[in-house]
Amino acid sequence: MIGGLFIYNHKGEVLISRVYRDDIGRNAVDAFRVNVIHARQQVRSPVTNIARTSFFHVKRSNIWLAAVTKQNVNAAMVFEFLYKMCDVMTAYFGKISEENIKNNFVLIYELLDEILDFGYPQNSETGALKTFITQQGIKSQPQTKEEQSQITSQVTGQIGWRREGIKYRRNELFLDVLESVNLLMSPQGQVLSAHVSGRVVMKSYLSGMPECKFGMNDKIVIDKQGKAGASDEAGKSSGKQSIAIDDCTFHQCVRLSKFDSERSISFIPPDGEYELMRYRTTKDIILPFRVIPLVREVGRTKLEVKVVIKSNFKPSLLAQKIEVRIPTPLNTSGVQVICMKGKAKYKASENAIVWKIKRMAGMKESQISAEIELLPTNDKKKWARPPISMNFEVPFAPSGLKVRYLKVFESKLNYSDHDVIKWVRYIGRSGIYETRC
Amino acid sequence: MPYLGCEETVKELKRALSNPNIQADRLRYRSYITRVIRSMTQGLDVSALFMDMVKASATVDVVQKKLVYLYMCTYASHKPDLALLAINTLRKDCADPNPMVRGLALRNMCNFRMPGITEYIQQPILTGLRDKASYVRRVAVLGCAKMHSLRPSTEIDPSIVNELYALLRDPDPVVMVNCLRALEEILREEGGVVINKPIAHHLLNRLKDLDSWAQSEVLIFLMRYRPRGDDELFDVLSLLDEFLQSVHTPVMAATLRLFLRLAAAHPAVQADALLRARGPLLAACGSASRELRFAGLCHVQQVLRSQPALYSGQYKRFFCGYSEPGYIKLRKMEILVELVNDENVVLVLEELKSYCTDVSPELAQAAIAAIGHIGRTYTEKCLDILTGLLALQQEHVTSAVIRTFRDLVWFCPQSIGAVCRAVEVCGENPQDTEGKQALLWLLGMHGEQISSAPYVLEGFIDGIKAELSSAVKTELLTAALKLFLCRPAETQDMLGRLLHYCIDEESDMCVRDRALLYYRLLQCGVDEARKILLGPESDPSMTVLAGRPEEPVGCWASGFNTLGPLAGADAHPDAPPADSSAQHCHSTEEEVVSKPPCQPGLTLGPPLSHEAFERLWVELRVLHRQTLGFPPPAAPPETLQAVLQLVKVQALAFSRCEARPWKAYVCARAGSTLVLAELLHGDPAVPDSQDALLLSVKQRPENLQAIRGFVSVLKTSAVQVQGQKSVT
Repeated sequence: MIGGLFIYNHKGEVLISRVYRDDIGRNAVDAFRVNVIHARQQVRSPVTNIARTSFFHVKRSNIWLAAVTKQNVNAAMVFEFLYKMCDVMTAYFGKISEENIKNNFVLIYELLDEILDFGYPQNSETGALKTFITQQGIKSQPQTKEEQSQITSQVTGQIGWRREGIKYRRNELFLDVLESVNLLMSPQGQVLSAHVSGRVVMKSYLSGMPECKFGMNDKIVIDKQGKAGASDEAGKSSGKQSIAIDDCTFHQCVRLSKFDSERSISFIPPDGEYELMRYRTTKDIILPFRVIPLVREVGRTKLEVKVVIKSNFKPSLLAQKIEVRIPTPLNTSGVQVICMKGKAKYKASENAIVWKIKRMAGMKESQISAEIELLPTNDKKKWARPPISMNFEVPFAPSGLKVRYLKVFESKLNYSDHDVIKWVRYIGRSGIYETRC
Repeated sequence: MPYLGCEETVKELKRALSNPNIQADRLRYRSYITRVIRSMTQGLDVSALFMDMVKASATVDVVQKKLVYLYMCTYASHKPDLALLAINTLRKDCADPNPMVRGLALRNMCNFRMPGITEYIQQPILTGLRDKASYVRRVAVLGCAKMHSLRPSTEIDPSIVNELYALLRDPDPVVMVNCLRALEEILREEGGVVINKPIAHHLLNRLKDLDSWAQSEVLIFLMRYRPRGDDELFDVLSLLDEFLQSVHTPVMAATLRLFLRLAAAHPAVQADALLRARGPLLAACGSASRELRFAGLCHVQQVLRSQPALYSGQYKRFFCGYSEPGYIKLRKMEILVELVNDENVVLVLEELKSYCTDVSPELAQAAIAAIGHIGRTYTEKCLDILTGLLALQQEHVTSAVIRTFRDLVWFCPQSIGAVCRAVEVCGENPQDTEGKQALLWLLGMHGEQISSAPYVLEGFIDGIKAELSSAVKTELLTAALKLFLCRPAETQDMLGRLLHYCIDEESDMCVRDRALLYYRLLQCGVDEARKILLGPESDPSMTVLAGRPEEPVGCWASGFNTLGPLAGADAHPDAPPADSSAQHCHSTEEEVVSKPPCQPGLTLGPPLSHEAFERLWVELRVLHRQTLGFPPPAAPPETLQAVLQLVKVQALAFSRCEARPWKAYVCARAGSTLVLAELLHGDPAVPDSQDALLLSVKQRPENLQAIRGFVSVLKTSAVQVQGQKSVT
């Protein structure tokens, strides 16, 4: 259980403090500030123990969120709770920043009141919370009958994440497959580790209590179907390949028993935006870019760097917001850069050459060469070469995941699967995409 | 952070809140209340406004109500008399037709931290427990726990406990979990909520409906349950199976812990569970958020303690990313050391080598120590790397390498030659205390193989005046003496200087005494000194050379998924996080599960139904029979029932008081055992029961100490009843 929750700004000033249990005193707020936020050295651990009280903290931009407890709790659970708290706050007022928190502190207190009671998590689903949170100020007495019964059904209902009686004129569904691809590559071009962590984010604007079914090219399902019928030919001819998902987690609305037995994903969706599933794959990842570095030390005062990037996807697709960051030694005095495409600049404050390319089609290649002049130093320290990192955005899923179908059934209202307008979008972004040099 | 002009602010707010014009304008009124709360958050004492805020609570505006309640909860303990004024409004709200308002009022009323509040909240809580809206029931259930925490020393009200046990069957999952939480807090003194077979099975079946927080908590509660027999055990395990692969890391870890606990007698099942949890644990280690990654790594370390081979195929997952924070890198290195085997040693060493040049000296040194650790098994490869690192001529690197050399020489005597050559060519001496000590030790121990040893030592002796650390000085004395014993010609002069300085000028007692000791030892003769200083060492092969022995799973399973694994010894040297409260939790758990005999006291549990009692009574045999030295009490059954309930004995049936034979059936719980008893008087068929009460006790599971406790409780309460009668 959680004894209290504090939010600080970067200076350590308390923005929000909510204490749930008697055993957490006011001095706990100061203890964390003095020992962690104002501590000179780096953060040694996300869990800090001060005078028999454990502080769990996460940092979002320059805001510190700390959960405090005196019990021997499950650490992972507290951290998950803090993330959830961040998600809920983001859903309500956008980015977590000092200004936003100050402007919304009444709302945050309301949220904290509903999410935790006596230190125990109660309800953390954004959609369901909307009924309880009254920022616009609903009056309790002149409330209409309908509204009241709606709250009652929400408060007593079995499905905690969706309220009844939702109506839309246009039934729409937006499906985003967001992936971040992580890579660590050796200078010789050998993949040391690579994985994709992806999220399927859905925005649903559907009336009633629809039942949805979501299908993707999961290897286990495709193989099963292939055995069952002759459909595998169709699968092959369309060039679709199935992917092996290492592990995945779902929003609480997904019926896990069905997933375990049939591996089908069926659910009654919450209203509005939510994350349907998270998954991770490690096999057969399409690495959108390959970075080939060449570093040559010419004497003690000069370095020659040549970096080639190759795009490795269909020529018809365009990657965007490409940025390559080539680190330079601390004693760099001057840099001459020549690049064929995009713009490159030496940023002394960041000790790096930043090379930006707006767009790049697939199966292309581009290169940059730089001459780095060094100040002669008597520092014998060898330059520990940090890896070359890269950022980009591509319009496909590097894991190879494809949405096969998303069906909507609503038996009570008169709209069918065909009437729902569905939008699907794939975005692959770089996570930690590093090549050692 | 009270700032200047705080009194001004309070006065201004007070003026505004009592201004009728502002009171009439709802929005403006609310904005002033918001300002009060804001000042409160900043640490300003605004308790002077209590009266005005109480007035503001009488409103139909829910937002305003929430704000005022927040204020009142904070200051109620400072102004208990004024807070009582607000109670009326709150009680009225508890009967509001809107469940949200009811729940809100009840919750905040329970949050008031003041001593006299209990009498006002008891009734609303009891009503709330039977409310038709689950939202209110959730609040009311936790309200019971809050009420108890306000007056922890008072008697536990058995009716509330029974009600809470009954609510475990509530259709709303959150109500159910809140019941468990509340019971746990209320019954903490007695070992917490009792998980018997029906409750355990009920919880297992409902587990799917719960959200992840509730799931992981319920899984911890289930640790108390001991399935009877292997059949039930495996049924339980197969129900739990899907959660092992699940979803959220905390749930998975909690399931794994429960698995390990339940299957303590089946090592094969435990091993299988660990294998199946490998995927999810690895996923946690690669999670996007660094805190979860950290938690995952710490738990992997725990698993490695018994099954080091389990993760060796996945060693690449533990390679560090450049931008990861230090605490994660340190853990990853520790894990990599554990995972080394013949196949991956080259790649792992290559990887660790690249960390040795990390910007942070702490990490670089940790990486070097890790290589040294691997060196105990793969000596040659590591020696090459370490020697190569000396060429970097970095102070912190050199120091760490020298320290690693010292340990390596001790563990693997075959490396002495290579180490000595490396030290010989090393151009730079470490500057920190520990590094110096290590170098001196090496010079003293293996000085005959290091040709430059006397010169290095001379440098140290010349600089002894500037040396601050007494540990280094002591080490220097020992090293100089040892070197003198094997290379007397080169060393005699400097040893003399050193002893002279240490005895005459040194102010540190320790160093001076050590110098005197060596001086007198040398006076006894060189041979004597050699015998003592260079005598045979302990055989290094006696110590465990490489690899720790694999510990049984039970060693760490009890701390799994708690704070314990996250707190490395180095992370918090001053305060071990497995603090007393944690240990307390553990010990109570242990007691309940494994040592019920130590608990003679009776505990409250879910009430036993008449049918269940009858079934058990027929099933079991009489364990204990004794006559109580008094006739049956002549009080009416209701009184007896009330008296017994006070001592936590449940009465199931009584004969009327003048009936013959007179019979009564009662039952009670002591820890995890259930005691059933029959009281008999005046049955012509049983001679013992003619003039006094005959007590027959049946029990499951058997526990004689519990019976003794039960009998003594029964006797005292009987005496009480008799006493009451004589008074009236």
